[in-house]
Amino acid sequence: MIRKIYLIGNPNVGKSVVFSRLTDVHVISSNYPGTTIEFIKGYLSLGDEKIEVVDLPGTYSLEPSSSAEEVAVSLLKEHSKDEIAVVNVIDSTNLERNLLLTLQLVEEGFPTIACLNMCDDAVHRGVHIDTKKLEEILHIPVVSTCAVTGVGIKLLIKRMKETASVSRDKLPHEERWKEIGLIIEQVQHLEHRHHRLREMLEDASVRPLTGFLMAAGVIYTSFKIVRFIGEFIINKITDPFFYGTIQPLLEKLTLHWQEKSFLFHLLIGDLVNGKIDFKQSLGILTTAPYIEFGMVLPYVISFYFVLSLLEDIGYLPRLAILLDNLLHRLGLHGYAIIPVLLGFGCNVPGILSTRVLESKRERFIASTIISIGVPCVPLQAMIIGLLGAFGGFYVGGVYLVLFCIILVLGLILNRVLPGYSPEFLLEIPPYRFPPLTILARKLYFRVKGFLIEAVPIVLIGVLVINILLYLKLFDIMTGVFAPVIHDLFGLPKDAIVALAIGFLRKDVAVGILAPLGLSAKQLFIAVTLLAVSFPCIATFIVLWKELGVKYLIKSTFIMIMISIIVGTLLNFVILR
Amino acid sequence: MKKVSLVHLKPNHKGKVSEIAGGAGLQNRLMSMGLYVGKEITKLSYIGLRGPVVIRIGRSVLALGHGMAAKIIVETE
Repeated sequence: MIRKIYLIGNPNVGKSVVFSRLTDVHVISSNYPGTTIEFIKGYLSLGDEKIEVVDLPGTYSLEPSSSAEEVAVSLLKEHSKDEIAVVNVIDSTNLERNLLLTLQLVEEGFPTIACLNMCDDAVHRGVHIDTKKLEEILHIPVVSTCAVTGVGIKLLIKRMKETASVSRDKLPHEERWKEIGLIIEQVQHLEHRHHRLREMLEDASVRPLTGFLMAAGVIYTSFKIVRFIGEFIINKITDPFFYGTIQPLLEKLTLHWQEKSFLFHLLIGDLVNGKIDFKQSLGILTTAPYIEFGMVLPYVISFYFVLSLLEDIGYLPRLAILLDNLLHRLGLHGYAIIPVLLGFGCNVPGILSTRVLESKRERFIASTIISIGVPCVPLQAMIIGLLGAFGGFYVGGVYLVLFCIILVLGLILNRVLPGYSPEFLLEIPPYRFPPLTILARKLYFRVKGFLIEAVPIVLIGVLVINILLYLKLFDIMTGVFAPVIHDLFGLPKDAIVALAIGFLRKDVAVGILAPLGLSAKQLFIAVTLLAVSFPCIATFIVLWKELGVKYLIKSTFIMIMISIIVGTLLNFVILR
Repeated sequence: MKKVSLVHLKPNHKGKVSEIAGGAGLQNRLMSMGLYVGKEITKLSYIGLRGPVVIRIGRSVLALGHGMAAKIIVETE
């Protein structure tokens, strides 16, 4: 009687895609090891029953070497062996390496079914596996699947009942590898293929000269595509909608309202030259939806489109190799580039994914760097939207300042913190080109996740700010902080409101800066400070959960120090 | 036959692992990824300036940090 199904396998074999197929629960999958850092649950209908399915983080063996692997191994041992079925997901293109875990599972007496995933890719690469023979040797059911298209999943479900404990001698790893060598000789047949374009590109991207050239090309093109798609959506879809449809509608509705009434203040906000200005009016029906849908959403879509594409193709681990050198000096190793890139979308998933890093020291450095020096999409969209009006030079300047902060901060933290930066060890996946439907689904879920999180907070945020502004309650705060804000940073007193609101959400904060009529220099300083000062509340909570109170306090102290130093330097030295 | 570390093995050359000069933790980690004494590997590249070394083992491609690669000694022609 099966009460629970576990999906286990090496990193990056497609467990999450199999999981989505079995349970209809969508989980983010990518083409690099370590996408799943926590176990995820769903349910599979088998006859009349509903059985819990657990997707475990990838592991190479049953002796864990990272916190994500520990999760996988400890969960597997939670239930008695006759109540569970273990689906061992295997990358068919690399059977040999995958079989170590399979043998261990069988030896430990787990009722196992082997799922030879990515069978279509294996055929493309000239790898042929005799599944019947493998079944005879291992005494467990073996099913070929291609989870991205759904081939073989029905058979996998059907044969799950056949799983049972098999007795097999426990071997030391050396012996196991010898045995695997013998098994491979019997079941795998390799067709000789000439190097094709895909393999040539795979190799070229990890060699020094061609690798850096390709990286420069990929990064440049990614930026261009993100901007192109973002601007396209704004210019062709959202702006015409807001200015052509929403604005006349709102103006008609509010024609007879009194401009100074409380309700008008809340819903529409202040008129600029007698007209609604979506960027400056600051009303619940004007600026709030415009910030989220007209400025941020287009870039959320374009950013996640490009990121998801790079993830699924499998380019990111190659970038990690090339950047290992630099990141090593910051107390990290190359793989930290993945949390950092995710952080550019939203700091929260970025900090969560630092779990793939081995030590607490690395996780602290990476999380602090992300929350200080990596601006999320909403903040970036606002920086481009507001500061871009003064010229691309200023926008580039903000990124340059943030990059320098990351470098200096990393170098210092690496010097000051006890411990050392661990060595890089990563398997590099082949390039894969998953069907566009998979990409579209992933994009849909990421955009939906963004909307669910952002929209309520932005609406409530603008509402609360409006009430506080109306009651003039911010005046106390502006009075207290005026010396720092005005004398050190050269900003008008009211800018403190924006910095404080930045704790709620960064995009709302930039929205408050818009009506202040700041000069290019002031706006430059203000958005840089917004990026480096306190992260938003969601990031703050994740930092707390992931690092603990002690490290959170350290991290916060660093943020405040850097904000003061950078704000002052920018004001008096760099932009003088 | 001569013995060199993975860092010094020339790109596109083959070698057979003869020693992993690291602790049990490292040995186990590499072992579970398929890199152990006696295994044949091909070096793909070295990024330079103490960057990582990239090797091919069977059908996998593995990137190792400079320090780790220096601890892995291979026999080569």
